[in-house]
Amino acid sequence: MTSNAQQQEQGEPIIEVQGLRKRYGSFTAVDGIDFDVRRGEIFGLLGPNGAGKTTTMEMIEGLRLPDEGRAKVAGYDTRTELNKVKTVIGVQLQSTSLFELLKVKEITKMYASFYEHTVPIGPLLQSVTLEEKLNDRVKNLSGGQKQRLAIALALVNDPQVVFLDEPTTGLDPQARRTLWDIILQMRDRGKTVVLSTHYMDEAQLLCDRICLMDRGKVIALDTPRNLISNMNSESAIEFRISEELQWPEARQQGLLQHLHTLSGVRIAEFRKDTYVLYTDDLQQTLTEFIEHCKAEDIEFMDLLTRTATLEDVFIHMTGRSLREE
Amino acid sequence: MRAYGQLTIAQLRLFGRNRQVLFFTLFFPVFFMVMFGYLFSNSGGNTIYGGLIDLDQTTESRAFIAALDEQKEILKLDTSEGQEAAMEKLRQGDNQMVIIIPKGYGEKLQAATSQTGTAPPGTVDVFYDETQAQKAGTALNAVSQVVDGISKSIAKYSPVVTITPKGIESLNLKYIDFLVPGIVAMMIMSNNLNGVAAQIASWRERGVLRRMQSTPLKSSTFIAAQITARLILNGAQALIVLLIGSFVFGTQMNGSWALLLAFVIVGTLAFMAIGFIIAGLAKTPESAGPIAGFISFPLMFLGGVFFPIQSMPSFLQPIIKALPIAHLSTALRQIMNVGAGLSQLWSEGLMLCAWMIVAFIVASFTFKWE
Repeated sequence: MTSNAQQQEQGEPIIEVQGLRKRYGSFTAVDGIDFDVRRGEIFGLLGPNGAGKTTTMEMIEGLRLPDEGRAKVAGYDTRTELNKVKTVIGVQLQSTSLFELLKVKEITKMYASFYEHTVPIGPLLQSVTLEEKLNDRVKNLSGGQKQRLAIALALVNDPQVVFLDEPTTGLDPQARRTLWDIILQMRDRGKTVVLSTHYMDEAQLLCDRICLMDRGKVIALDTPRNLISNMNSESAIEFRISEELQWPEARQQGLLQHLHTLSGVRIAEFRKDTYVLYTDDLQQTLTEFIEHCKAEDIEFMDLLTRTATLEDVFIHMTGRSLREE
Repeated sequence: MRAYGQLTIAQLRLFGRNRQVLFFTLFFPVFFMVMFGYLFSNSGGNTIYGGLIDLDQTTESRAFIAALDEQKEILKLDTSEGQEAAMEKLRQGDNQMVIIIPKGYGEKLQAATSQTGTAPPGTVDVFYDETQAQKAGTALNAVSQVVDGISKSIAKYSPVVTITPKGIESLNLKYIDFLVPGIVAMMIMSNNLNGVAAQIASWRERGVLRRMQSTPLKSSTFIAAQITARLILNGAQALIVLLIGSFVFGTQMNGSWALLLAFVIVGTLAFMAIGFIIAGLAKTPESAGPIAGFISFPLMFLGGVFFPIQSMPSFLQPIIKALPIAHLSTALRQIMNVGAGLSQLWSEGLMLCAWMIVAFIVASFTFKWE
C-alpha cells in the first residue's frame, strides 16, 4: 500500500507538525520533529521520561512557543491563529490540579463558561462516570475520579482534538482500565486523541499509531503491529544461567556468538543478568537452543517465551529501557 | 462576560469554603483591635502616680498641697505613706514620682515674703523615674505650674500676657478611634499583598494557570474576576471590622461612607497589584509568603497602623510618607475621625492612585502565567 492510499483510507491529517524544535538553555528538549496526526485516530507519543513528549504536546497546544518549526491544528497555525486553535482542542495537562474546594458541577460549569460552544454538563459527566459525584467537592474525589474529571473538562467544548498527557500515571490498575474505556469511547465518538505515555502496554492497547520518541527525536512512527513486526522478530526468548558468574569472559562471549547462529534468531543480547533472543521461528530456535545446552552442559533457568512488545522495539532501537531503573 | 461571572463566583466560593483562611484573615485584625484597644485605653494615658510627703506641716505647705490638688487629673498623689515606703515604690516602678516638702519650707516662704528679693527661695524636692522620660516630663511640668502659681501669688506678680484657651469642636477621640482605621488599612494590605501573592504563585506552580491558558479565556477576564472577588471580600471584611469597632468599642464615624469605600477600593487595588508583582518575582509558592511578609511587616509598623506617623523618627519620615499604607491609614483615619472630605484628602488619594497605576504597570511586566 502506498502512503497516499493509506492516508485516504485513514482520514486526512488534523495535526501537521513540521520541524518543531525547543531548547531550554543548552538543553534541547525537542530536536526537530515532523509528523501528522490523522482525524479520528488515537495517536500515541511513547517514550521514557524526558523524551520530549510533554514539550511536544504543549507546543501543539500553543502553550509553548517553538524555537523553530510550526504546528497546525485543524488548519490553524498555532503561532498566528492560537485563539482558533484553542476552540478546537481540549487539554488535560500532566500536572493540572483542580480547585479542590469547588464541586464537580461548579468547576465543570466554570470551564464551560470559557467557551462559546459547549456540550451539556450532565451527559458529559456521565460519559466519564462521574454523574454521581456532581455535588461532591473535588478534594473528596479519588485519583482516578480526579483524572476523569480533568478529561471531562478537556471535552467540555466538544473539541476535535483531545490532548491527554500521561493520563494514567499514578493510577491503580482498575482506574487505569476505566480510563482506557473512556479514551476508546472518545475515538468512537469521532474525537482525535493525542496521548502521551511511558507505559508500552497502554500505548499498544489504545493507540492506532505510535510515535516513539527518545531524547527529543522521533525514532519510529507506525502502528503498534508494524513497529513490532519491523523488528522481524515475532517472539522473544529469555533465560538466565546461574553458574555464569564463575564462567570466564571468553565462554560468555562464545555462548552469545553461538546464540546468534541458531536458526530464526535475529538479535541476541545480554541484558543485566538475562539473555534475550528475538526470533521469527520460535519452535526451531528453542529446539536448537536446548540441544546446544545439552551438548555444552549448560544449566539454564527462568526460561520464558513471549511475543515481542513495544518495549523490545524501544530497547532494540535505543539500547535503553523505557523505564528508568 | 459569562466567564467573568463564573470566575468571580468560583473565587468567592474558594474564599467562603476555605474556613481556616477566612477565620484568620478576619480574626487577626479583630484580635489586634481588641488587644490594642483594651491595652491602651485602660493604661490611663498620661496619669502619673506618686507619693507626697509633707515634712513641714505648716499653712504654707498645706497651701502647696491644695494647689497640687488642682492638677489631680494628671497627678494621683498618695499622702498616706511614709517617705521610705514612697521612695521604695518609686524604685519598683509603682510610683512615677515622689514630692517631698522639706522642713522649713513655710519659714523660708515667710522670710521671702517679708524681705523682698534677698532671701533664699523655698524648695520642694521632686524625685522621678529617669527611665520614664515622657511621664517624668509631664509630672515635672505639672509641679512647676503649681510652684509657678505660688511664686506669682506671693510676689504679687500680675501677668502682662495671658492665654485664653478656647477648645473648638472637641471630638473626644480615644485610641480606639485611632486604631480601627489603621486596622482596616492593615487588613486590606495583608489580605491583598499576602493573599494574591500566595494564591497566584501556588496556582502557577500547580498548573492551574496553564490549564486556563489552554482555553480561549482572556487573561484580562481572569484578572478582572480576581479583582472583583477580592473587592467584595475586602469590602465585607472592612465592614465587619468597622461594625465591631462601632458596636463593641464605640468608635466614631464622622465622615462619608462613600469616600471611605472609595479609599478601601483604591487601597485594595494598589495592594493587589503589589501582590501580583510579588507573585511574579517569587520563584516558588513557598517563597511568595516570606517575600510578602518581608514587605508587609515593616509597613504595618511604619505606616501609621498602630502608632501615629508623627511619632516615628524624623529620618524615616520621608520614607514613610512615600508608603502606600501610610496614605491609606491616614485617609481612612481622617474620614472616620474628623470627617475629612476629598478636598482635604486629595494628596492621599493621588498618592494611592499613583501607587496603584505604577504597581499594575510593573505587574503586567513581571507577571508570568507559568
